[in-house]
Amino acid sequence: MKFWKLHRGWLYPFFFLLPAVAIFGTVIVSSAVQSIWISLYTWDGIGPKVWVGVDNYVELFQDAQFYTSLRNNVIWVLMFLLAPAIGLAIALAVNQPIRGMRLIKSLFFVPLVIAPVAVGVIFVWFYDPSFGLLAKIFGWFGAPSPALLSSEKYVTISIVAAALWSQIAFCMILFLAGLSGIDESVVNAARVDGARGWKMLYHIVLPQLKHVNFLAIAVSVIGALRSFDIISVMTQGGPFGSSTNLAYQMYQQSIFSYRFGYGAAIATILFGGVAIFITWYLYRLLRDERN
Amino acid sequence: MINSRNPSRRDLVKLGGQGLAAVAAGSLGLSALAQDAKKLTVISDRSNPNTQATLAAIAKAFEKETGVSVTINFIPLEAHKTAIRNYLVVGPPDVCFWFSGNRMRSFVKMGLFDDISDLFAKEKYLNVLGLAAEAVTVDRKQWGLPTHGMPWGLVYRKDVFAENGLTVPRTFADFKIMGDKAKTSGLVPMAMGTKDMWPAAGWFDHLNLRINGLDRHMSLMNGEMSYQDPQLTPVFDRWEELIKANFFLPNSTSFGWQQAGAFLVQKKAAMMNLPPFVQNIFPENERSLLGFAPFPEIVPGVGPFENISYNSIHIPSGSKNKGLARDFLAFFYRPENLVQFLKSEVGLSPRNDVKEPPNVLLDQAREAFKNIKGSAQFYDRDTDPDMAQVGLNAFQEFMVAPERRKAIQERLEAARKRIYKT
Repeated sequence: MKFWKLHRGWLYPFFFLLPAVAIFGTVIVSSAVQSIWISLYTWDGIGPKVWVGVDNYVELFQDAQFYTSLRNNVIWVLMFLLAPAIGLAIALAVNQPIRGMRLIKSLFFVPLVIAPVAVGVIFVWFYDPSFGLLAKIFGWFGAPSPALLSSEKYVTISIVAAALWSQIAFCMILFLAGLSGIDESVVNAARVDGARGWKMLYHIVLPQLKHVNFLAIAVSVIGALRSFDIISVMTQGGPFGSSTNLAYQMYQQSIFSYRFGYGAAIATILFGGVAIFITWYLYRLLRDERN
Repeated sequence: MINSRNPSRRDLVKLGGQGLAAVAAGSLGLSALAQDAKKLTVISDRSNPNTQATLAAIAKAFEKETGVSVTINFIPLEAHKTAIRNYLVVGPPDVCFWFSGNRMRSFVKMGLFDDISDLFAKEKYLNVLGLAAEAVTVDRKQWGLPTHGMPWGLVYRKDVFAENGLTVPRTFADFKIMGDKAKTSGLVPMAMGTKDMWPAAGWFDHLNLRINGLDRHMSLMNGEMSYQDPQLTPVFDRWEELIKANFFLPNSTSFGWQQAGAFLVQKKAAMMNLPPFVQNIFPENERSLLGFAPFPEIVPGVGPFENISYNSIHIPSGSKNKGLARDFLAFFYRPENLVQFLKSEVGLSPRNDVKEPPNVLLDQAREAFKNIKGSAQFYDRDTDPDMAQVGLNAFQEFMVAPERRKAIQERLEAARKRIYKT
């Protein structure tokens, strides 16, 4: 008992932190470190590992598919940044106190309820060049249906458009929550001072949404970088790898080509990219909290 | 979403508790299984409901005869391809379904499948198996039982051919005439869906078998021949001719084989190059109209060699009841039980002493393949899995952009050199 009394100053935090640190350590940190370690070997996932140093990275940087994947990741991130903007616009629109808005709000909310895999399947049917809705719409105008998922040029954009559908809904919810937390008195005071429309939005509403905005951007960027399921469902990275991104290439190399070392090298590069972003995110977060 | 990324401490503790509970339950379950030697577990990837029912019935009959209870776990085909790598290492069942040829060989090389040559000797399977035995043989030992073979060929509707005055092609010249005629009747000559990539390889296999023959095809599959070898030039030339003549369904990369097959069902396409399981997408009353023709001859005197893909059933080397597992395989392989299985799957019998159930496409295929001089399986079973992944991708690309042939061949060759370390 004496020991406890003497040391409880650090024992309490130690025991409370232990489960979280242990789980985070095993599930996240050690597996990340291990996968960096594996990236220095060739390994089929079962047999013996063979040390190859940085060979996997050398090969990766000569792999045309790697640059396609990287380009697709950039397209994902850039297009996903539309989600906060459009989400904000919709949130402002449906936040009006008009009859029936609740219904419209919930309609906008629907895509978020659907699992990403289901969203993928819906859009595959939508894009289908023989009987999809898109083909029908083009048919009304007498135009031949575009096979978006067969086109090297448009396939990634088409997949991101599908993913955006639910991401926008998610950002909208964030902004709606943010809007409900806006200080009415400030808004009223601004109104007395004659602020209307754009001025009201730009000088009064947006500054108060700063935190939400930051969060929406961060979540969208991370969402874009880890996108995987919807690619798998819609195209399996095809046609011939043109919609593959880094996460999908890693999966393909590891699981289908039995190249865990090479897959781990891709994972490490992706990890580096995400780490840069998260560092920036944490830096901003901590700075804001300190102020 | 935010919650999952910044979980509270409480959430993590909860999660950890659940995880521990699950692990404990799992290990208890496993040890209970290991103690009871009268139990057999089977993992099957055959997702067709008829087959599931048939396998369950066979298991029941085995239970009745031996008193061993059999549990069959079904994993859908595509999911099983990834799951098998895990379960063979961490929790192998006693019997599992897989594909023969190179896909089996890679597990044999990793020591994950059990050598069942003793069962072959005891039951004298080599006497009844013929060509199919090669599919499960590595280093003169047998590592599994072939369950059913899928012959590749051209599937068509006889009524569509009659209505449009088309004739079944015997030679490559006939084939092009048939295609041109089909086009003037508003038909797509060849239905084609390469969304899942593999159907494209059927074309490469057939062209190469008809032009270069089986031996050279197999040396390419075994990584002994270059993908830039001039002998492959006519293969890609013929293929490009067909592509440039618009023989294939446009936007084929948007369709799985079932969706592409719908064009055949709806009388919008003339033929399709696949095994007879295509019949499953036809309404039952229209199946009798189906025709099966071997891929046309290209170089006279070569072959005929065909693709017959064998699926197979294996005993993982980690099985705890290898003796019982052998009994089960032998039971499953009795002609009367194998016939029931063949009825539910659309495939050729690997045993030649079995009276095969009648099937419109298989009967024609058996007749057409009577005089073949040898057979390969299929690209993704004949070559290394890593090479197959690169190859399938390349063939899909070639069918869309034949002008990139040179770059595609370079890529294939680079992959071959890496994989076969020449």
